[in-house]
Amino acid sequence: MALLQKSGQPRPAPDDPTGRILDVEALERCLHDPSADIRRRAAADLASCQQATQWLLTQLQQETIPSVRQVIITSLTRINTTEAVQGLATCLRAEDARLRNDAIEAMKQMPDAMAPVIEELLQDQDPDIRIFAVNILESLCHEQVENWLLDVMDNDASINVVCAALDIIGEVGTEIALPVLERTARRFNDAYVGFACDLAIRRIADSRPAS
Amino acid sequence: MTAIISQDDFLVFREYFYRKTGIRFESSKRYFVDKRLIDRITANDCASFREYFTRLRFQANGEELQRLTNLLTVNETYFMREEYQFDCLTSHILPELSEHLPTDKIINIWCIPSSSGEEPYSIAMQLLENWPMLRNRDVRLLASDINTRMLDMAEEGLYSERSIRNVPPTWRARYFSRVGDMYQICDELRACVEFSHVNLANPVEVRRQHAIDVVFCRNLLIYFDDLSRKEAAESLYDVMSPGGFICLGHSESMGRISPLFTVRKFPEAIVYQKPWEES
Repeated sequence: MALLQKSGQPRPAPDDPTGRILDVEALERCLHDPSADIRRRAAADLASCQQATQWLLTQLQQETIPSVRQVIITSLTRINTTEAVQGLATCLRAEDARLRNDAIEAMKQMPDAMAPVIEELLQDQDPDIRIFAVNILESLCHEQVENWLLDVMDNDASINVVCAALDIIGEVGTEIALPVLERTARRFNDAYVGFACDLAIRRIADSRPAS
Repeated sequence: MTAIISQDDFLVFREYFYRKTGIRFESSKRYFVDKRLIDRITANDCASFREYFTRLRFQANGEELQRLTNLLTVNETYFMREEYQFDCLTSHILPELSEHLPTDKIINIWCIPSSSGEEPYSIAMQLLENWPMLRNRDVRLLASDINTRMLDMAEEGLYSERSIRNVPPTWRARYFSRVGDMYQICDELRACVEFSHVNLANPVEVRRQHAIDVVFCRNLLIYFDDLSRKEAAESLYDVMSPGGFICLGHSESMGRISPLFTVRKFPEAIVYQKPWEES
């Protein structure tokens, strides 16, 4: 027993259909393979294939193995289309908190594809969905983020949704947020909202360049 | 005439190189990238970036892309860098794996990136010097890099005084011989590290490895963006054995990359483990 001498030969790999060059239909079949390893590899290989979006989304809803689910979500993030975002957005209604969180994290990385969908999510009937949408905005690299958040603060009827937006505006808000913060404090006669609005206003005022 | 790289050229090239390697150059690296691009444009007798870029993209054998990759991925390292992880390897990781694995199972250790070989040879010395259980267990040392020039240097095993500055004197005497003002790693060690070309951003290339028990992937993922980092972590997960460990660089954290691995805190280092079973 020791450090093995190099052989110069490739080590024989276990048989794996995804190890061979496969067309996309064959990869789609592998997405339903009983072996999680094969499903995971098929999901990874479909990342370069936009036509696989619906296959991946369908499998995502059925998949029970966390690592396969992770890879499906990563491939959808790489595909990065509005169709992929719309599919991930349906996961926000899932009972499984891990799936919801994974979908939120993925959508944060798809700012351009996310833009047409975020407005729908911010208008959803369910306040929990609207809070998840605000959570996505927290680190979405898109120039409209502040406007979307201010729109929530001005118009959303749910104090919980508004507080979620307010927390972020407190960190990233600029001068255009000042009138909205004042209106929000008046609209909700609530001690926490008043405190958070005052704090955000002070932070924005403090960050003004000295004239 | 020296070619000029415009801002648009830089952005086009940056996106292409990112898709090929997962490595994204920030604007602050513009000078570094431009200089190497201009060198290759000149060496290829191209009149412009555009002419060179077309050649780079469509050359069937990919030779020019590999040359350019070699120039853009040079990272200096040295023996026994972040050696606390090597202590962790022999004090905790390998004993734990040995306890769980069948006695005849070969333990596969993979360094990616290997750079010019300092890390895998350091691990080889660490095992020979500090892991007595090596008498009862076979270990295979694998090492890969995207940079073929680095791989050639690793195979050659010739190092400067600066590179071996952290190697203890007794180890130097045992494993190196002086060649002019350089140090040659001994044949015994060179014979037991299997070097290969692998691009971590290409899952098909990564899958040439399998049943890996310990991965050293240090100070590479910092050059990737978030999504490429996650894809790389998933590729590594894919080729690791259940219960396998992954060691990252000291400034890297798997917690910010992927939830697939479990954090393991040992006295010497924090490392990450693929679960023995997936629920």
